[in-house]
Amino acid sequence: MNITLRLAWRNLWRQPRRTWLTIGAMVFSNALLVFMISLQFGMYDLMIDNTLQAFTGHIQVQAPGYKDDLKMRQVVPAVNALASDIRRETGLDRVAVRSAAFALVSSEDRSYGVQVFGADPQHEAQVSSLPGLVRDGRFPTDANAQEIVIGAVLARNLRVSVGDELTLLGSGRDGSFAAAVATISGIFDSGIADLDRNIAEVPLGFFNDVFYMEDAGHAIVVVTPNLDDVEAYRSRIESLLPVGSNLVVHDWNALQPGLKQAIQADLSSAFFMYGVLVVLVAFSVMNTQLMSVLERTHEFGIVMSLGLTPGRLGRLVLLETVLMGLAGMLLGALVGGAITLWFSYNGFSYPGMDQLAANFNLPSRFYPQATLLTLFAGPAVVFIGSICSATYPALRLHWLHPVEAMRAV
Amino acid sequence: MSAVRCIDLCKTYRQGDQDIKALDHVSLEIAAKGFVCLSAPSGGGKTTLLNAIGGLDIPDSGEVWVAGQRIDQLSKGALASLRLQQIGFVFQAYNLIPVLSARENVEFVMQVQGVSKDGRREKSTAILKEVGLAGLEDRRPAEMSGGQQQRVAVARAIVSKPALVLADEPTANLDSKTSDELMELFVELNEHHGTTFVIATHDRRVMGYAKRLIKMLDGRIVDDINQRAA
Amino acid sequence: MNYAGIIITLAWRNLWRNHRRTLIMVAAISVGAWAMIFMTSLMRGMVNDMLRDGIRVLPGHVQVHHAAYRDDPSVNNLLAMTAGEVSAAMTAAGIERFTARVRVPAIISSERESRGITFVGVDPRQEALLDAIGSAIVEGEALSGPDDKGVIIGQKLADKLDTRVGKRVVVMSQDPDNEVADRGFRVVGLYAANLAVQEETYAFAGREIVQAMLRIGDGVSEVAVSGDDYRDVSQLLAQVSALMDEQDEVLPWQELDAYLGTMLGVMDGFVLIWVIVIFLALSFGLVNTLVMAVFERVREIGLMLALGMRPSSILAQIIVESILLLVIGLSVGNALAFASIVPLQDGIDISIVAEGMEMFGASSVLYPELQMNDVVLANIVVLLLGFLASLSPAWRASRYEPVEAITKV
Repeated sequence: MNITLRLAWRNLWRQPRRTWLTIGAMVFSNALLVFMISLQFGMYDLMIDNTLQAFTGHIQVQAPGYKDDLKMRQVVPAVNALASDIRRETGLDRVAVRSAAFALVSSEDRSYGVQVFGADPQHEAQVSSLPGLVRDGRFPTDANAQEIVIGAVLARNLRVSVGDELTLLGSGRDGSFAAAVATISGIFDSGIADLDRNIAEVPLGFFNDVFYMEDAGHAIVVVTPNLDDVEAYRSRIESLLPVGSNLVVHDWNALQPGLKQAIQADLSSAFFMYGVLVVLVAFSVMNTQLMSVLERTHEFGIVMSLGLTPGRLGRLVLLETVLMGLAGMLLGALVGGAITLWFSYNGFSYPGMDQLAANFNLPSRFYPQATLLTLFAGPAVVFIGSICSATYPALRLHWLHPVEAMRAV
Repeated sequence: MSAVRCIDLCKTYRQGDQDIKALDHVSLEIAAKGFVCLSAPSGGGKTTLLNAIGGLDIPDSGEVWVAGQRIDQLSKGALASLRLQQIGFVFQAYNLIPVLSARENVEFVMQVQGVSKDGRREKSTAILKEVGLAGLEDRRPAEMSGGQQQRVAVARAIVSKPALVLADEPTANLDSKTSDELMELFVELNEHHGTTFVIATHDRRVMGYAKRLIKMLDGRIVDDINQRAA
Repeated sequence: MNYAGIIITLAWRNLWRNHRRTLIMVAAISVGAWAMIFMTSLMRGMVNDMLRDGIRVLPGHVQVHHAAYRDDPSVNNLLAMTAGEVSAAMTAAGIERFTARVRVPAIISSERESRGITFVGVDPRQEALLDAIGSAIVEGEALSGPDDKGVIIGQKLADKLDTRVGKRVVVMSQDPDNEVADRGFRVVGLYAANLAVQEETYAFAGREIVQAMLRIGDGVSEVAVSGDDYRDVSQLLAQVSALMDEQDEVLPWQELDAYLGTMLGVMDGFVLIWVIVIFLALSFGLVNTLVMAVFERVREIGLMLALGMRPSSILAQIIVESILLLVIGLSVGNALAFASIVPLQDGIDISIVAEGMEMFGASSVLYPELQMNDVVLANIVVLLLGFLASLSPAWRASRYEPVEAITKV
C-alpha cells in the first residue's frame, strides 16, 4: 500500500469517534437519498406509464390545434389510410385511429355529459389499457356495432348495467345535431376516477356514422416499444405525412405537458431538499477536517521543516476525505439499498397517499426499485460535496509556517 | 487535631502487565499549620499520596482523615464539596481555566461555593494583591507568564481560606527565581494564615523551604525529617 | 444564581475558543434552519393556495347536499328544503355568507362545438359574498340576479366552443323525469380562474332560470356557507347542521374535497418529517463538535472537578454550550428565512411548469406563506432534539475521573 494512503488511513482512526460521526452523517444522507431517489424515479416512471398507457399513447398524429381545442372539425383526413401507412413503414403494430366528441349520454333516468371516443376495436387494445380493463361484458369487436363501453362510476351514476341502452346526444363534425342509441357491451374500471366517470367508447365505424366523420378521424395513437425511442419514431412518422398536409405529430410530452412538468416541479423541490442535505454533510466534513488539521499543526510543522511541501500535506488531507467519502458512499448505498429492498417487497405508503397518488394515476402502495443510478447518483454528489468542502482545510496548510506550527500545542 | 492523617494506605496501579505499588502501607500524620514537602523520584508515589489526601483518588486500603473527618469512604459528591470547602489545589501546569481571566479564575471556586458577587470581588482583589498580581486581574492565562499563572493558581487555592493546600510540583515549569518567589509566597501564607501546605516535589530548592521533609521511594516513606529542628 | 452565571460564562467563552469550528457549525445550523422554514413556507403557500382555489371554485366552508348527491350529482338528488326555505332559515339564524345553488352535469353547445360541463344556477348577489370564481369577470358583465337569462363561462371554455360574449349557446341537461331539458342562453360574460380546468368546467346562469329549465320548482342541489377561517369550521358545521333537514348531508370542505383535505394533513406530516430529517443531518456535526470540544478540554474539566465543581455542573456546561450554538444558528437561520421570504411575497412565477402544477391542483404562481406555528415547531424541534443529542457527550464529560483527566496529555 502506498505510504500516503497508509498515512491517511491511520490518521482517520486516530479519532475513531469523530471519523465515524462524519461517516455517519454521510451514511444518513446517502441512505435517505438512495431511498428517496429510488422511490421518486420509480414513481415517475409508473406515473408516466400509467397515464400514457390508459389512453394517450406515446405519439399522436393530429390536426394542428386539436390537442388544445379538441374541436370536432380539427380532423386528420383519410385517417385509416395514413394509419396503415404508418404501420407498414415503421413496422410498429401498436397504431390505432381514434375520434372523440362530447355528448349527453342518457339512460332511463339519468343524463350525463361525457366524452365519447370512437375506437378501432381491432387496434385499440394495443394502444390503450381501457379495453383490457373491461370488468363486465366485453369490448366491442365489430367496428360498426351500435355498442358502447362506459366507466364504472358513470355506469353507477346512470344506473345501468351491461345490456342496457343509452341515448347519445351531441353535435356532429359539421355542427349538426347528432343522436344515436347504443347498447352497453361492457363496463371498464380503470381506478382512475376521471376516466371512470367521464369517458365512453364506441366502435369507430359507428362513431363515424353518428358524428358524420366520413373517412376522417381525430387522432392516430402510436405506442413505441420504449419511451426512449419516441423521438426517433416521431420524426419517422412526420416524414410519412402526406405532402402538403398540415398535420402535426405530437410526442407524449406535448400531449400531456402536465405530466413532465409535474415531475419537474416535484424534482426541483426534491433537488432543493437534497441540495440542503449535501450542504449540511459538506459542513460536517469541513468541520471535521478543519479540526483534524488544527490539532495536527505541531506535527505538520515538523514534517514541513523536514521538507514536505504544503501541497503534499494538503493532498494527504484530501486523501483522508476521499477515504471517508468512499466509506460513506459505500455504506450509504448499502443501507439505502437495503431500505429500498425492504420496501420493494413490503411496499411503501404513508397516511393520505392513496388520495394524493390517485391524482397522479398512481397506486396507493408503492414498491421502489433500486438501480445502479439511484444507488449511486445521490451518494456521488455527497462525495463530491465532501471533497470540495475539505479543500478549505487543505488550503489552510499553505499559510502554515513551520516554526510557528511546531510551537503550537 | 492533626490536619491530615493517613493510616496504612495501599494503592496499586496496573501498567501494561505489571502491577505498580504506588502506595505501599503508608502511614502519616501532618499537624495543623504544617509545611510539608513530599519528595520522591518520578513514580515514587508522591502524587498518588497527594491525590489520596485531596480525595481525588481512593486508596485500595487504609484510611484517610482530613481535618478530623474520614474521607476515603465518602461519596463523589461529598468529596467534591470537601475539596470545594476545605482544600486548595495547586497543580503542576494547566492550573487555570483558559477562558477565564485571572480574577475569574480566582473567583471560580467562590462562585461554585455560592459566595455573593460583592464578596467575591472584594476577596479576589485582596488575594490577587497579596500574591503580587494587582493590575493583572483581567488578563487571561495565555497573556501571563508561567510564574504569574502559578500565582493565580495559588490565589485561587487560598482565597476561600482552606485549612489545607495541596500542591503537586508547583514549580516544575518555573525558572529558579520565580520558583523562589512562589515558595516565599507559600511560606508567608503558611505563617500569616496558618494554612497547612503539603507540597509534592523533586526540586531541592523547594525542599529547602519545608519545615518537614518526607522522602518516598517505591510507594513507601523512607525518611521523615523535621527540618526546623535540624 | 451565581452558579448558573459561571456555567453560562464558561459555555459562552468556550464556544468562541475555536471560532472557526463554531462558525462552521453556526453556518450549518443556519442553512438547516433556513431550509426548514423556507421550504415549509413554500409548501404551505402552495397548499394554502390550492385550498383557497379549491374552495373558491364553488366556495363554502360547509356545504349541504342530498345524501346521494356527491356520488350521483343528478337533478334528482335535490335538497329537502327549497331555496326560499334555506334563505329564510339562514337569515333567521343570522348567517349572512350563504348561497343556494342548482348544480347539474350538462352539455353546452355552440354552433360548432359541444362540451361536458357542470352547470350552476346561482344567485349572483349571494355568490359575491362568498367570492366565487364566477365573480372574476374579465369580459362582458356579471349576472345581475337569479332571474338573469344570460350565462357566464370561463375564457378557456369560450375558446374551445369557438364562442364569445354576445353569442348564443345551448345548454342541455335532464329534468327529474329524465326528459331532455335544454335552453338557449346568451353568453353575457367570461370569467378567469387560476386553474384552467376550472375555467373549462363551470358555467353559471341565474338560479331561477335554471330551475325553470330543469323543471324543479324552487329546488336546489347545494347550499354553501362560509365562515371566517377555513381552517376551523367546526362551529359553523354545527350551526348549519342544526338548520338543515336531517336527511341531507352537511360536510366541511375537508371532507367534500378529500384530495385537498388529505393534502392539508399530509403537509403537516411533511413539515415535521422535513424538520427532523434536517435536524438529523445536522446532529452528526453537532455531536461531533461537542465530542471534540470535550476531548480538547479534558484537563480543564478534570481541574474543575478537582476544585470541587460537581459533575452535574460539567454536564450543564456542555449542554448550555450546545444550546447556545443552536440558538445562534437558529437565529441566523430564522433571519435568513424571513429575509428570503419577504422579497418573494408577491409570488414566484413558476408558469413554466403551470400544467404540472395544475396536476397537483396548484396554480402557477407560488406565494410563500410563513406560518408562525411552523417556525415555532422548527425551532422547538431543533432545540429539543439538540438538547437530547448533546446529552451523550455532556454525560461523558461529567463522568471523567479528575485525576485521570488532569494527567491526560
